[in-house]
Amino acid sequence: LEEPPAVLAPKTLLSGAVPLEAFLATLQKHGFTEVKVEETADGHILHLQAEDTLIQLEEDGTHIVCDNNEPLRTTLRDLVLRFLQKL
Amino acid sequence: LIMKDNSLKLVSSEQALKDLGLNEHQLRFTCRVQLQDQSPEQETLSRVYTHLKSVLKGFSVQLLPDGTVMVESILIKVSSSPEDPDSKTLLLSWSYQDEDLGSFLSSLLKKGLPAALC
Repeated sequence: LEEPPAVLAPKTLLSGAVPLEAFLATLQKHGFTEVKVEETADGHILHLQAEDTLIQLEEDGTHIVCDNNEPLRTTLRDLVLRFLQKL
Repeated sequence: LIMKDNSLKLVSSEQALKDLGLNEHQLRFTCRVQLQDQSPEQETLSRVYTHLKSVLKGFSVQLLPDGTVMVESILIKVSSSPEDPDSKTLLLSWSYQDEDLGSFLSSLLKKGLPAALC
């Protein structure tokens, strides 16, 4: 993207949840093999060790924390979106 | 637009989700951007603010008192580590609803701050 977006796109809401086991299997299938899973009060934190990336999975939210690596971020974003409904 | 009890009504998408008995799922991203910059954190932050203000005409760009730059609903913070005062880490945080702008800002800031402002 060379120019800022001309207009802000209409809001897309997401619904549903990301199931841990199925998501882990999807990550594995896409080459993210070193994943450390930690249980938290509200869900799980996945540490993608080779990529130094964290994915916080909760019933009503997912938070991806990574370095400024757009291909990695958009890949993980699309893998998460597979489990959610867009509205 | 939802149909309920044989009538159509126009409601916000948040309300429509509730009416349909669905839960909203928030998807957020936080990206770390490394900057080589020797100035103190506050100064880096105000340079980020000046830079974004000049590039993003027509967008809301604010410097908040708590040391955050906010572009629409995207938050930008600066942090530095005591071991390496010459480098700063920018933390950009946005939700899926601001995906286009968030992605644009992360690639813009990756290029660094303009030299003229140094």
